[in-house]
Amino acid sequence: MEDYKFLFKIVLVGNAGVGKTCLVRRFTQGLFPPGQGATIGVDFMIKTVEVEGEKIKLQIWDTAGQERFRSITQSYYRSAHALILVYDISCQPTFDCLPDWLREIQEYANSKVLKILVGNKTDRDDREIPTQIGEEFAKQHDMYFLETSAKEAENVERLFYEIAAELIGQARSKDGSGSAAAAAAQRQSEGSSIGLGSFSAKAAQSNCCGGLASGGGSGSNSSQVG
Amino acid sequence: MSVLEQLCALDIGTNGEVDEALQRIAEEEEKVNEKLESLLAKQCQIEAKMSGIGRSLALLHTVDSDSNKLNDQIVNTAQLAESVSAKVRRLDLARCRASECQQRVHDLIDLHLCSQGVVKAISEEDYEKSATHIARFLAMDQQLLRRTADDVQGSITSVSDAVKTLEDATEKTRVLIAKRFDEAVKADDLASVERFFKIFPLVGCHRIGIEKFSVYICQKLANKAQKELRNAQDIAKAESRLQLAYADRLTAILENFARVVEVNQPIIEAFYGQASSSLIDMVAILQHECDAEVKNLLMEFNKNRQIQYRSKQVNESTQRSTGGNVGSNSIQALGHYRKPSGGSVDKLNPKEIDAIIAEITVMHARVELYFRFMRRRLQVHVETCVPEKEQADILERYEKIMKNSDLRRQMQEILSTYLLLERYFMEESVLKAIGLDTFESGQQCSSMVDDVFFILRKSIRRALTTQSINGTCAVINNVAACLDGDFVSALKAPLKSGYPSGYIDLAQAYNAIQTTLQQGKLHSSDADRGRANFLVQLNNADVSTEYIETLWQTMEQEIAGTFPQTTPVERQLLDSCLTELKAVRDALKATVDFGMQQLRSSVIKPRLNPWINQFLNYSHNLNEEELAAYEAGETFVQFFIVQLDGLLNSFKNSLSPRNYDALVSILATEVTMQLERAIKKITFNRLGGLVLDQEVRALGSYLTGATSWSVRDKMTRISQIATLLNLDKISELSEYWNPENNKEMSSWHLTPNEVRTFLTLRNDFRIEDIKRLQL
Repeated sequence: MEDYKFLFKIVLVGNAGVGKTCLVRRFTQGLFPPGQGATIGVDFMIKTVEVEGEKIKLQIWDTAGQERFRSITQSYYRSAHALILVYDISCQPTFDCLPDWLREIQEYANSKVLKILVGNKTDRDDREIPTQIGEEFAKQHDMYFLETSAKEAENVERLFYEIAAELIGQARSKDGSGSAAAAAAQRQSEGSSIGLGSFSAKAAQSNCCGGLASGGGSGSNSSQVG
Repeated sequence: MSVLEQLCALDIGTNGEVDEALQRIAEEEEKVNEKLESLLAKQCQIEAKMSGIGRSLALLHTVDSDSNKLNDQIVNTAQLAESVSAKVRRLDLARCRASECQQRVHDLIDLHLCSQGVVKAISEEDYEKSATHIARFLAMDQQLLRRTADDVQGSITSVSDAVKTLEDATEKTRVLIAKRFDEAVKADDLASVERFFKIFPLVGCHRIGIEKFSVYICQKLANKAQKELRNAQDIAKAESRLQLAYADRLTAILENFARVVEVNQPIIEAFYGQASSSLIDMVAILQHECDAEVKNLLMEFNKNRQIQYRSKQVNESTQRSTGGNVGSNSIQALGHYRKPSGGSVDKLNPKEIDAIIAEITVMHARVELYFRFMRRRLQVHVETCVPEKEQADILERYEKIMKNSDLRRQMQEILSTYLLLERYFMEESVLKAIGLDTFESGQQCSSMVDDVFFILRKSIRRALTTQSINGTCAVINNVAACLDGDFVSALKAPLKSGYPSGYIDLAQAYNAIQTTLQQGKLHSSDADRGRANFLVQLNNADVSTEYIETLWQTMEQEIAGTFPQTTPVERQLLDSCLTELKAVRDALKATVDFGMQQLRSSVIKPRLNPWINQFLNYSHNLNEEELAAYEAGETFVQFFIVQLDGLLNSFKNSLSPRNYDALVSILATEVTMQLERAIKKITFNRLGGLVLDQEVRALGSYLTGATSWSVRDKMTRISQIATLLNLDKISELSEYWNPENNKEMSSWHLTPNEVRTFLTLRNDFRIEDIKRLQL
């Protein structure tokens, strides 16, 4: 099992009860265990996937949503390659808390971290947050966007596989830039992410509001991904 | 084969052959005769056997009739046996009924006795006796009793009367015992409380008994805890453990609960044995009370130790510092790091919270210990007293009680406080150590490396004492973040500004000397300090990589010691966090490399340049006389080595061994590169080539001697160039070029084209010969 080319750390955050643990279980074990108890501190899963012919080891950190575990979960942000911010599409308060989560991410995570907004529980009938609102929010905050259902296994595989593909793209463009300054590498990696295009929100955003330096490397590096 | 066929097969062409055939036929005939005779001889025997068989046939008839008779007999016996066993079964049934009947009679007698006894016992207030009677009554099959009562209706002894009496008595006793128990509780009469506690199960009130008793104990413990909490400070003062006052109180509370369970477990097992959930029921009720008491204690703790206020201060100070960073990315990019604020009034002093942090870790560890103790108790309890199929249920129920308890939740909260304070303590102390960094001359590193690693190790060790894996992981993460952030920036800042060199060009050096002369030593010492600081930080970074490895290894051992039984997930969690430290080590290694490159560009390159230029002043077109003269005087390589030695010596004592080796290695690379360039600028004759070869050898042996690392491979290329230029004739090259001819020589680092280029430097070699070389 130690035969892998890349190792990426993915951290899931979001309010209690939005289905972080279920997403992880669905992806790593193919299960949807109902009546899951609240996560204590952090839980840890590993899954090796194959993307573009490369073996990739994903370390998935499933964090507790409750406030009292915040100082434990925060300590994992720094080393994360990707952060998945989850809310429940049938629960407005979980969406309203997103700015608080972003503030926390800003404070503790690496500024270059890949951020993905996930609206979970699309299987529910009592939707409170329309897809477009979530998409809009993701666009505003420079995040990818995806709606999932851990229960119906909808978009779960896609979520993790696309993160893996995206991170490979970043890692490769960083290797390629070699001696280039860190700032340039950052710009490149951010630029290359646009080429992926499968996350709808960020793709739409690339032209109209290139908030961070997304213009620079996009042309030259987009060919490396895909 | 038949005779005819034999005849046909025979060749009867000649007389002789006919004779031969005849003879063979005669032999054949003889053989057939023999066979016939022997067959005839057997006839007798066969006839004898036939008559034997005829005789035994008669016997077989008798056997047949006998066996038929036997069969009849067996059938008879079987029928007999069946009828016997049916009788036995009936007998057994009768016996069963008889004993049942006897039991009923016993029950009836007992019922009678009990109904008489219980009334008497109740009137005499002998609760044990009445309870025993009731227990006997309850042990009877109530339905059966009712049926019996119907059966014997009309008899003198009215069973139903007795049942009624007993039922009434049971009700009465239950109420009475509950009342007496309550009275005993009110009177705080422990002996009576225990007395009635033991009676409850006899009258079939297991659950009520456990509940009432648990409530009583909770009440007692609550009173005790309240009194102790009020005197917490006084008690702590008396024990001179003021700093651990609340941890000690918490310990006392938990010990009380643990003791209650320990003391009452045997009583419950003895008197409440039939109801397997009794102990866990009690534990559940006790846990509830424990939650409440701990809650009170923590409220007092929070108030007295100003936890809210301090957390707020910590949060504000971290927000301030990150807020500053977020607002100005450019400053962050320049390697800005938070300075320890000096005189700020509301800034929390890390020393102030040191004791609180320690107290919290003790509290957390005690609660972990308490839960472990309870779990072990219950484990033993279920293994000895509970039927196997219920064991798992009860243990599971305890895990649930524990997981959902308020105590657990409060400990998660206090752990959160601990992590907040611990991070603040660590970060501030590290910044302080960086701020107070001092360097003593003669040392290679400054104080901050030891200080910082001391602080970090202390933090991780303290995290281990909480007994919480999640907490330990978080602290390790914070340690990695702290090293990666503040510490690496502090090391990198002076490296980024470069190695202050007074030797960039002559004019600058001249100016430096001038100003030094004019202003005393002031300016020069400034540059000196800059240089020393640069080297010290470079050494610091190098030593830190070692320290991180040590830290990580010792922590790995200590973690294994603290958590001997971890699940695979926990194990992976810890390992993964420790791996973060490895990532920081790599960042530090990169810092060292960065500093080395700075040295290369600001020290090695500019100073090598003029020395290498000297090489061009020495002619390598020499005749015998000039060679002798050259060798008698100061050769280039002598001059060069003296200069290099001077340069290296100025660093030898101030660099850590590894850094010094790295410096020599960089120097070797740079020397060979620049020398190669210089060689290309001049021409050589035979003797000039000889001189160059000697020079390269001397240089090689000097550099090899200067370091414990191998620089030989860095010298390979230049040695090969010297070999080329030292050739007697071009044709000699084939001996060297083909590695098969000379195994000692390492493979060529030069391309055929480069070989040709270098050979053209020899002015006595003809271009055509060089071109003709087969390479």
